Amino acid sequence: MKTLRDIGLLFRRKMMETLRNPIYIVISLLTPVLYLVLFSPLLSKLTNLPGFGAGNLMNNFIPGLLVIVAFLNGLFVGYNMIDEVRNGVIERFRVTPTSRFALLAGRVLRDTVNMLIIVNFFTLIAIPFGFQIHLLGYLLFQVILCMIIIITSSFGNALGLILKDEERLSPILQGINLPVLLLSGMLLPMELAPKWLNYIAHINPAYYAVEAGRLLASGNILDAKVGEAFLFLSILTILTVTWATHVFYRDIS
Amino acid sequence: MDQSVLVIKDLIKHFHSKGGLVKAVNGVNLEVYSGEIFGFLGPNGAGKTTTLRILTTLLKQDSGQAIVAGFDTKKDPDQVRRRIGYVSQAGGSDRPATGRENLILQGQLYGMSTSVSAKRAEELIHLLDLVEFADRIVQTYSGGQRRRLDVALGLMNRPTILFLDEPTTGLDPQNRANLWVQIRKLQQEGTTIFLTTHYLEEADALCGRLAIIDNGYIIAEGTPEELKRRGSGDCITISIEDSEKKAPALIQLLKKADFIREVQYDTTHIRLYVNDGAMAISKVLNLLNQHQIVLITITLSAPSLDDVFLHETGHSLRDINAKGEEK
Repeated sequence: MKTLRDIGLLFRRKMMETLRNPIYIVISLLTPVLYLVLFSPLLSKLTNLPGFGAGNLMNNFIPGLLVIVAFLNGLFVGYNMIDEVRNGVIERFRVTPTSRFALLAGRVLRDTVNMLIIVNFFTLIAIPFGFQIHLLGYLLFQVILCMIIIITSSFGNALGLILKDEERLSPILQGINLPVLLLSGMLLPMELAPKWLNYIAHINPAYYAVEAGRLLASGNILDAKVGEAFLFLSILTILTVTWATHVFYRDIS
Repeated sequence: MDQSVLVIKDLIKHFHSKGGLVKAVNGVNLEVYSGEIFGFLGPNGAGKTTTLRILTTLLKQDSGQAIVAGFDTKKDPDQVRRRIGYVSQAGGSDRPATGRENLILQGQLYGMSTSVSAKRAEELIHLLDLVEFADRIVQTYSGGQRRRLDVALGLMNRPTILFLDEPTTGLDPQNRANLWVQIRKLQQEGTTIFLTTHYLEEADALCGRLAIIDNGYIIAEGTPEELKRRGSGDCITISIEDSEKKAPALIQLLKKADFIREVQYDTTHIRLYVNDGAMAISKVLNLLNQHQIVLITITLSAPSLDDVFLHETGHSLRDINAKGEEK
């Protein structure tokens, strides 16, 4: 099928970029490693944090970092998109019979693979710090992380294609970035938050991912909150990909 | 008559912008025949690029019809895409990949197998003199090298018609001349070429026929020779000694002379448009003698396409482009 072949071809194109410049992977590892080394020691002094459960501290803290890795690696892809629009690459593809969906999917797939490499690398780093993986839980958690990056990468790519200008993209991304991180419960659990703040957090995809991640890391696979996260993120994934595909299909002057 | 590969009928495309309605393309009719190099000229904002984007399926018109390579661009964009090549102003080559990788991927996206695409890429690498740098990362290419790769990308699918949008903009004179040679070579191999430009000398040098668009309308169409004949007669260019002091008074005198239709000047030269150059030249010499102005050079020339443009639109293409580039 032409669409599948096109996705493969365009995925390979972007993957070659990563392989030629693997420093990108190292840079992406920097943020979570800094959190691990410079922030997690503060947490260890706070005992009996509500919402951090009874399990070990790292199993409550690392999943949040992994969600942030997935979130950030997708959100900022719009810059690269704008660069390719400016160099005429996207327009060149659009004048060929290339599948429009593949133009999006090839990129999102590369971002997903990159994210999985970074996440698993970081997990290896975090194990000596006390991160104890429940294997099945960890695998399911990776599915959640994939949904997060599919959402953010589709959104970021479509936004880049619409705006075509870094100076218009930057304030939007910054405006999304900080509130999403603050309301994810990644640094401190949202149980500590007053009710109104906790309500707002419930429209934040990162919040669901972090909550589910903590449960899955400790092996609580059947917790209702895990199901809730899968449901919420699946719906958001479908909506975002549909919208982004629509952006890639329509006329762009 | 040769077979036509492109027919545009009553094409209209308007945009809504902050400043109100922009009539970018306002009833354009054109026909391009197999094997020719057709030039599409006009200043920035004249409707050139919008027309081109409709022809290459990137935009849909409000009304009218465009048939490219036998298919309607609006109803059958996929069939059109299979049969055209397009080189945009921005180029389109992927910077972090090698030239060869760019070419092979392009062929694969047209549905070629990897081996067929690699073979076609090899052909084009030779045709467009890319051999030396085909396996280097595009990021390292010079402007001229990248431009040739861009053109090669547009040829991967052996298009019925190749669209080149301002192919030599931003190239130095040597690279420009080099690309002209390549474009003529493509025509000799049977490719029909539709080229936009705002360099009149480029249109003059390359195109068999051309059309001039201004404010969304085609204002002139024909061979470069036909258009020049329609222009404003002959042109006499003079430069004088002590130009700074004496030119202003002289220009006033020349403007009054009844045998001169128009006077243009810059810091060093005065250009006079006249009906009959041979007759006018002696009158100009007399006038200079009478006022004791010493002549340095005088040349008589047939009108250029720039003169045609001035004649048809009332403004000089160079002025408009100079303004456009300042932005």
